[in-house]
Amino acid sequence: MLENASFRYGTLWVLLETSLHVAAGETLVLTGENGVGKSTLLYLLGGLLPATTGRVLFDGHAPNVSRPSDLVRQGIRRGFVFQHGALFANLTALDNVLLALRYHADVLGLDEQGIAKRGREALHELRVATTDFHTLPAHLSVGVRQRVGLARALAVEPNFVFMDDPDQGLDETTRELVLDLLVRLRDERGMTVVLTTTDPEVVRRLDVRVLELADGRLGSLRRA
Amino acid sequence: MHSTLPYDPRRSRAPERSFVGRVGKWGVSLYTRGMSLAATLGSAVLSVRTPGVSARRVVRRVLLTQIFYTGFQAVTLIGTIGVLLGATIVIQTQLVVPSADSTLIGKVLIAVVLRELAPLVTAIVVAGRSGTAIATELGNMKVSSEILALNSLGIDPSRFIVMPRLIASIASVIVLMVYFAAISLAGTAAVGIVLSNTSLSGLQAGLAAALTPYDLVLFLVKGAGLGTIVGWLCCHYGLEVKSSPTEVPQMASRAVVMSLLGCVAFNTLATALFYWTVGPPLR
Repeated sequence: MLENASFRYGTLWVLLETSLHVAAGETLVLTGENGVGKSTLLYLLGGLLPATTGRVLFDGHAPNVSRPSDLVRQGIRRGFVFQHGALFANLTALDNVLLALRYHADVLGLDEQGIAKRGREALHELRVATTDFHTLPAHLSVGVRQRVGLARALAVEPNFVFMDDPDQGLDETTRELVLDLLVRLRDERGMTVVLTTTDPEVVRRLDVRVLELADGRLGSLRRA
Repeated sequence: MHSTLPYDPRRSRAPERSFVGRVGKWGVSLYTRGMSLAATLGSAVLSVRTPGVSARRVVRRVLLTQIFYTGFQAVTLIGTIGVLLGATIVIQTQLVVPSADSTLIGKVLIAVVLRELAPLVTAIVVAGRSGTAIATELGNMKVSSEILALNSLGIDPSRFIVMPRLIASIASVIVLMVYFAAISLAGTAAVGIVLSNTSLSGLQAGLAAALTPYDLVLFLVKGAGLGTIVGWLCCHYGLEVKSSPTEVPQMASRAVVMSLLGCVAFNTLATALFYWTVGPPLR
């Protein structure tokens, strides 16, 4: 996925010429101290930031930051779970999930009924209460927002899933739900998953390849 | 192209000491800003050609919503300003030229209301009302990573965000200009009849005599140009917000100021060019 990629903010290099291959269906954990650039690396891997040097590829396709729909038409669907949800503030929970499905309905081969069905299923899977479906994100709790964010990312049935600290700020029940989901994603759906975390429990439960980012370089911590 | 960086907290802030260095830095900054502005407009225009039938349906819905907010909701305000300004012009004309006949009043109204006030006042109202809303909304979307979220879902921000707002701004400015001109001329006629001996038929004849086909062209050119400037600059400055909520009001303010400057400059340029090229028939 990463080919000799470097990235810098101004004069500060966050990532130095790094190559990283994540196999199809693999789950990879990125870890490192706070502020080391884990989220930036995840944005880079997810094709949301252009690399300063080098490039990022998804199954051989390079993302175009200013025209991301090209990737979807090439069969590459990404799901991204942001640290603070990043839900669309003017759309209800359900509409947040449905937006991408409606936008890509022709590519995904969905009609209006199929779109609604898939959106509702995604929210139900994350145990979002039906009463919250038509609520704006501002009126949802942090945990529900995070679950809606997960549902939005998974509803498009992505080939690549990126999660930025998916269990951060969640209560124990919601955290368990998210951890179970991560284990299921690892085992069942064949999606390529990259997530950042500082939580040793996530690393322990997932038991997959873990890379640590420090001083702009990725080091292998442990291989399952 | 816009920076999609979620934050940029550690940029080099070392001051440039030499004169040549400072001029160079200013030149580079000017070039970068110019290119970024051009990219905002260019990518929005080019996004019209992006394939995707269902995407087009979603964008059309956004466009209709934007037309409602930018155009329809401004009707009352534009109407009120139109009537009041029209009345003011007639009163001033009567004060300066007490013997003004309907032909002169017609000429003044066409020149002042139709050619200048309608485009400029409408653009100023749209920039003040909707421009701030657009810049603030997009700035907040940038801060809360919603633009990145769109990108991650394969939704083109220039097509989904900028293009509908740009088209809505153009359409709204043109329609509101027509409405402003109509209301303003009606208000003028009412006040003119009350204040002077001008008759409605006389005023109609005066307006008809002063109106030329060139006015329609100038009217449309100005409407399209001013609408583009407002929609373009407000989207651009909204998307220029990087990471901090405190940037949002700053960028919203800059968006409106730059839109107003752009509108006044464009209006003057359009008037000068038009009168220079087809001036005689308008006299």
